[in-house]
Amino acid sequence: MRKHLHRYSRLGVAALAMLPLLLAGCATAPRDYMAIANRPNQVSLIDLEDRKVLRTCPLPGRFGAGTLQMSPDKRTAYVLTNQFENIYGVDLDTCEITFSAIQSEGNTRIKTTAAFAVSQDGTELYVHQNPSLLLRDRYEVQEPRLAVYRIADGLKAKPVRTYSAPRQVIVMQTGNDGTLYLGGSDIYAMDAATGKYTLKLASRSRQEPRYSQRDVLSIWPLGQQSGEFIRMYTAQRFADETRKPETAELMWGYERIDLATGEATTGDFGPLDVVLFSGMTRPHHPNEMFGALSQLQKFDIAKQQLVKSVDLGHSYYCVNFSSDGSKVYLAGTYNDIAIYDADTLEKLGNIQLPGGDQSLATAQVFPRTP
Amino acid sequence: MKHLKPLNAKAELMDAANNPEARADVVAMQSVVGCASTTDPGWEVDAFGGVAGLCQPMEADLYGCADPCWWPAQVPDLMNSYPDWDQNAPSADKDWRNLDAVFPKSRS
Repeated sequence: MRKHLHRYSRLGVAALAMLPLLLAGCATAPRDYMAIANRPNQVSLIDLEDRKVLRTCPLPGRFGAGTLQMSPDKRTAYVLTNQFENIYGVDLDTCEITFSAIQSEGNTRIKTTAAFAVSQDGTELYVHQNPSLLLRDRYEVQEPRLAVYRIADGLKAKPVRTYSAPRQVIVMQTGNDGTLYLGGSDIYAMDAATGKYTLKLASRSRQEPRYSQRDVLSIWPLGQQSGEFIRMYTAQRFADETRKPETAELMWGYERIDLATGEATTGDFGPLDVVLFSGMTRPHHPNEMFGALSQLQKFDIAKQQLVKSVDLGHSYYCVNFSSDGSKVYLAGTYNDIAIYDADTLEKLGNIQLPGGDQSLATAQVFPRTP
Repeated sequence: MKHLKPLNAKAELMDAANNPEARADVVAMQSVVGCASTTDPGWEVDAFGGVAGLCQPMEADLYGCADPCWWPAQVPDLMNSYPDWDQNAPSADKDWRNLDAVFPKSRS
């Protein structure tokens, strides 16, 4: 007995000796978090491993659209708010508002649908602006532009550069090399230093004899968890070039930019049986495409087949994933996050947010140290 | 019309409308400037002409459609004339009774 005690005490001493190392390991091990905005007008930081809302920070002004992008160090959330007009940077650890881009001025009202992005080095914010001149007897729509804000300018930031930009740009993202991708009627690539842009991936302008014109709904800048800028399209795929509607299959497809390499790929991924609002590929499983609205659906991209579909408790707009790709997170509409197993699509739980609806808000998932 | 001379910008536009060559091209708007200028019918039917593809329940979709003027005819214009319509109803599911009908403001 004494011998055993001695052995256990030696083990205990060894464990105690390692405790600081273990604690240090716990403190620095990255965990998955989510940042999401909701009504009345606030943004929450959620620990996804504990399924717990850590902090909820109020934002100035009215809610909307709730589009959210994270700084590269994953400490600051940039949120589009005040009915699509202002972008605030909020430190998610202290709730301090460190940056603001107040866009409208005088009788020029500027709206941004959901198109803004942070530079790879975290020093600049790129915003697609839609100005309208509010005159006494009419509104005059002005040409859209791309405005660059310097984040170090803090609460008094004004554009430091503006460029002519394509119309109808709804979402944007920056690639690893700093290229800015603009998702509008087509997808464009812009050099943010010069404003020069080129067509990156033809969507509405695509001419394919066996396909109808594509239709795209994309108001969520998703995909960073899989290293992609991605949106979905729907189109009719005709049997032959006579394009007879009665021969058409309704198809879902993806338009994807690889954020690491800049490679653009596009193609059908499955049959259109139900309406889906957002989708992305599963991290570490590039052949699996997931989409959601009133159902959560999983597709085999290569086979263009639906693998599994489950009905949801209510509609969710926004899909995202854990870093290891094992869990799907559904957000948007009401004030809860639903969690599903990415292999089986079995429901694993919900996280309830304080406050009201998320509406069109973007749920960003990211690993970082606590 | 040849004896009439336009005196302001709107009259010039009306005058130009008589001359197709002087008319500006019609292009899709890139910006919502108010729900009255949005023509998306939105709510009633889904892409298949039914209702099964609409959001479930309807309240889950209410703000997602009202915020960007997706339902221009069915809800007040949150961007222009009734920006506070939702102030007493942060949750459409629980607070929908607070979402009142609106009426034009009195000019008196």
